[in-house]
Amino acid sequence: MSQDLYRAHLLDHYGNPRNYGRLEAPDIVADADNPSCGDQVRIELALDDEGRVAQVAFEGEGCLVSMASASIFTEHIKGKTLAELEALSEEDALALLDAPVGSSRRRCALLPLHVLREGLKAYRSRAA
Amino acid sequence: MLDSERIRADFPILSCQVHGRPLIFLDSAASSQKPLPVLEAMESAYRACYANVHRGVYHLSEEATQRYESARDRVASFIHAASREEIVFTRNTTESINLVAYSWGRAHIGPGDRILLTEMEHHSNIVPWQLLAQEKGAELVYLPVSDDGLLQMERLDDLLDERVRLVACTMMSNVLGTITPAAEIVQRARAVGAVTLLDGAQGVPHMPVDVQALGCDFLAFSGHKMCGPSGIGVLYGRRELLEAMPPFLGGGDMIRRVDLYRSTWNDLPYKFEAGTPAIVEGIGLGAAVDYLTAVGMENIAAHEREMAAYAMERLAALPGLHIPGPPADRRGATIAFTFRGIHPHDVAHLLDQEGIAVRAGHHCAQPLHKRLGLVATTRASFYLYNTTAEADRLAEALERVGQTLGRTQ
Repeated sequence: MSQDLYRAHLLDHYGNPRNYGRLEAPDIVADADNPSCGDQVRIELALDDEGRVAQVAFEGEGCLVSMASASIFTEHIKGKTLAELEALSEEDALALLDAPVGSSRRRCALLPLHVLREGLKAYRSRAA
Repeated sequence: MLDSERIRADFPILSCQVHGRPLIFLDSAASSQKPLPVLEAMESAYRACYANVHRGVYHLSEEATQRYESARDRVASFIHAASREEIVFTRNTTESINLVAYSWGRAHIGPGDRILLTEMEHHSNIVPWQLLAQEKGAELVYLPVSDDGLLQMERLDDLLDERVRLVACTMMSNVLGTITPAAEIVQRARAVGAVTLLDGAQGVPHMPVDVQALGCDFLAFSGHKMCGPSGIGVLYGRRELLEAMPPFLGGGDMIRRVDLYRSTWNDLPYKFEAGTPAIVEGIGLGAAVDYLTAVGMENIAAHEREMAAYAMERLAALPGLHIPGPPADRRGATIAFTFRGIHPHDVAHLLDQEGIAVRAGHHCAQPLHKRLGLVATTRASFYLYNTTAEADRLAEALERVGQTLGRTQ
């Protein structure tokens, strides 16, 4: 079976998701779904005194692409500042996956980024 | 069963390779493939007689008009309409239903009136009625679906009271394949004076349909799900209702006379066909109707019954595969399933790698999925050109999907 998208590292993140669960005292919580397929991701962040991501956790239900993407994505954002998170582009998020995401799975792959953006927006507007 | 080799030879796309494997097309419930006579009729129309219809006083336009209007005759006889004036060409089922909601609905639905739908409708037979009900202060009520995916007919009498002005119901679920007792629903709805609309998007392509025997007031269906092109659909309406209805879209062709401040309307069915229609698509639909008639709708229905029984047995034998909905003898060959907790997008993606086209998601039926406690399903839908060998290949490929992604959940 040809499985270009279903590469070993994605299967690994899908089967053993990193940072899975919830935080005790998150500063930022974001929860969203993709109504077209029912995929759902919740991301929680706790910030340190310098405003960097000290802890991150996610929970969710979805396809391999969205779940592996969330696992990889949460690994990537640890230690970053909010400004750095806000600067993450869709291309950055897709590049993290290191797998050929076709147009039909793009929304799955980008779900964690979109969830994070919602959370950041809500956090900024609360702070302001 | 049908002579599948002969049928398949009529569909050029079925000899395609996808990812280096022979295509197995199992998404006809979304849109069907097209046989050579349809492709040829459309190409011939563009090459030999293309011109705008109805108004030209020259040979090409007369020829195009003749071919386009003859498609209407063939559609009328295909569903046993009493007359060709009862066949309104639209873009698709969705537009047909919206036409009724806007034109008939806005004239006849008022505050406190009820519109009765079922829990297994496609979004296109829910949302137009929601818009109408919100505008008019009317109420939507739903005939419930049982856990095994059948309409709870024993609840119908309770719901059918004098407040119900319209009953709109699918002929076949596009998810579960459930064939509904449409004739009985229509009969009982008419007994309380309600107008009836059948969503035939999944019915007309797959079974013989006789609107006069059914007794429905409206029947909506799409060309592209019945071997015809996309962009052409049909609204059948009983003449008496169509005549009393105000127009839908305004513009050319639907008028008799236009003055600066008022106009009068053309005769049926043109009153509902504003603007240049989908000319070549209409001609293609006529060819599709001829094709299905030549194969025989009874034969197609019988083929699909056998396909449903065979495929369901084959799939249900896979550990962890669950098929919601009724048994094979109460459904068409549309089979949604869940498999070992693997997300439908992953199932569909991996099947695609083996050349197998299925659909994943909620299939435009979110309320039905919610009712059955499902987020999303994978759907394999079979049509006249599918074979039991293809169902075997689907089952074999699913075993491999399970090996790749099955995890303890």
